[in-house]
Amino acid sequence: MTDVAADTERLDYARAAVEHAYDEGWTDGLPIVPATAGLVEEFLAATPRPPEEVIAAAPQLDRECTVEQAAVNAAMAGCRPEYFPVVLAAWDALMAQPVVTGGGWQSTSGPAPLIIVNGPIRAELGINSTGGVLGPGFRANATIARSIGLVVRNVLGIRPHELEQATQGLPGRWTLCVGENEEESPWEPLSVELGLAPGTNAVSALLLRTCEFVDNRHTTDPEELLWDFCDTAARTGTAIGRFSSAGLVLGVEHAQLFAGNGFSKADVQQWLYDHAIRSHADLERAGKGLEDRDAPGIDEYGLHMTPSPEQIPVIVAGARNAAMSMVVRPFGFRGWTRTAHPL
Amino acid sequence: MFEAMIDPTARPATSATGAALAPRPARLAGLTVGLLANTKKNAEPFLDEVGELLTAEYGVRNLVRRKKLDIAKTAPAEMRAELADACDVVVVGVGDCGSCSASAVADGLELEAAGVPAVVICSEAFAATADAMADLKGAKGYGYTRTPHPVAPLERGEVRERARRILPDLVGILTGRATAAA
Repeated sequence: MTDVAADTERLDYARAAVEHAYDEGWTDGLPIVPATAGLVEEFLAATPRPPEEVIAAAPQLDRECTVEQAAVNAAMAGCRPEYFPVVLAAWDALMAQPVVTGGGWQSTSGPAPLIIVNGPIRAELGINSTGGVLGPGFRANATIARSIGLVVRNVLGIRPHELEQATQGLPGRWTLCVGENEEESPWEPLSVELGLAPGTNAVSALLLRTCEFVDNRHTTDPEELLWDFCDTAARTGTAIGRFSSAGLVLGVEHAQLFAGNGFSKADVQQWLYDHAIRSHADLERAGKGLEDRDAPGIDEYGLHMTPSPEQIPVIVAGARNAAMSMVVRPFGFRGWTRTAHPL
Repeated sequence: MFEAMIDPTARPATSATGAALAPRPARLAGLTVGLLANTKKNAEPFLDEVGELLTAEYGVRNLVRRKKLDIAKTAPAEMRAELADACDVVVVGVGDCGSCSASAVADGLELEAAGVPAVVICSEAFAATADAMADLKGAKGYGYTRTPHPVAPLERGEVRERARRILPDLVGILTGRATAAA
C-alpha cells in the first residue's frame, strides 16, 4: 500500500470513529475526539485529584460524575490534558451554585455556564481574555466550556428533549469560558475581589440567560455611560419579579473610563443597583404589573432589576479597541455565591 | 470496531433495576388521599380542586396536604414518610417545568416504592422529561395523567375544569383500571 493510501485508510477510520460517537449519542452535535485509555491517563496525570473523586452530581437523577468521567469528556471535547485542572475548578465553581444543584441544567431557561478564569494560567494555557473573548477561535476557551456540556449530557444524562427542557436555549451554551483581562483592567481581578490572593489561578462560574451588547463610543461621562447600561439592565423582557438580574462583562475602555473618573467596581455596582429600576407603569404596560409592592426589591418607584449591588457580577474582558460591553443575565433565584475556586 | 473508544456515559443508576408499583385499591371511597404540591403557580389550587372532586364524587374521606419547596428534587424523606403513613393514595403535581416534571414522577415512584399508589399530574408540554425520569428510575411506561399546557396562567374556574377533565384518568391510575406500568 502506498503511503497516501495507508494514510487515507487511517483518516477514514478516524472519521468512522467520530461517526460512531454520533451514533451512540455521545456528542453535542459537533464532532468529538475519540477518548482512549491512554489519552484519559494523560488527563488524570494532570491533576492530583483521585480518579474516583465525585466532582459533579445531579442527586435528583441519581447521577454523579467522577474526575475520571470528567477526564473522558474533556478529552472528547478537545481539551488538552493541561486544561484539566481548569475544568475541575470550573466544576467546583458550578457545583457551589444553588441554581446548578437546584435543577438548572434541566430548566426551560436553557442557561449557559459562564466560566471566568483568573491568574497566570490564562497565559500558560492560551485562554483568551482580549479580542473576541466571548466568541470562537481559541481552543482552551472553546473546549473547557464544551467539556462542561458533555458531562451534563453524557454523565449526568441530561439531554435535550428528554431531561433537558430548554424552550429555546441560547447562543453560547457550552461555549462561554473567558479569561479576565487582568492586564488592562483598572481594578483588582474578580478572584481577588472574591477573597483570593493576587496571582492565584482560580475559576468562578455562574449560569447566564443571555448577553446583550451595549455600544457606547459616544460619551466620556461615567454617569451617562451608566445610564446606557441601565437601560439595557432594566428592560422589561428580563423582569421576572424580584429574581431579575444583571451583570457586566465590561470592555476595557468602559472599565477604564469608570476608573479614570474615580469609580470603583463597588461604585459601579451600587450605581446600577440604585438606578436599574423599572417603573410600575412600564411593567404594567408589558403585562408584568406587581401585586405585592412591599416585597423585597419592590418599592413605590418600581422593581429593582438586580437583587443587590454585590449580586451584580462585574468582570473586565475583551480588547481595548472599541468602547463596547455586554450586559449579562445571571440565572438562579437564589443568586450567585460570589466565590472563586482555586485550581 | 471502536472497542478502545471509552464510553463517556454513566452506567445506569442503581435504582434503575425495575421499580415495583404499589397494590391498588379497588375504589377510593372512604380512603385518605394525600395531595403533594410543588411551588409552581396553580399547583396547589389544582390539587385542591382534585381533592374536592374526589371527596364529592368518589367518597374520599380525608385529604392530607403537603407542599415541597424544592421543585427540582423529590419531597424530603420525612414528608414522603408522613404521606405514606397517613394516606392510602397520593396525588402529586403539577409537573409544569423542566426539572419539576421529572421530580414529580420521581416523587410518585418513591411513594409507590413505599407501598402507596401515586398519580402524577403533568403538563403535556413536559411529557418527554416525565417519561425520561420514569425510564431512569426503571419504571418505563409509568402512568401519569396529562393536562394541556399551560397551567400557570389559568384562572381558578379554568383550573377546576382541568381537574374535572383529568379525574377519570387519575382515578383509573390510582385504582389500577389504567395501565400504570409496562
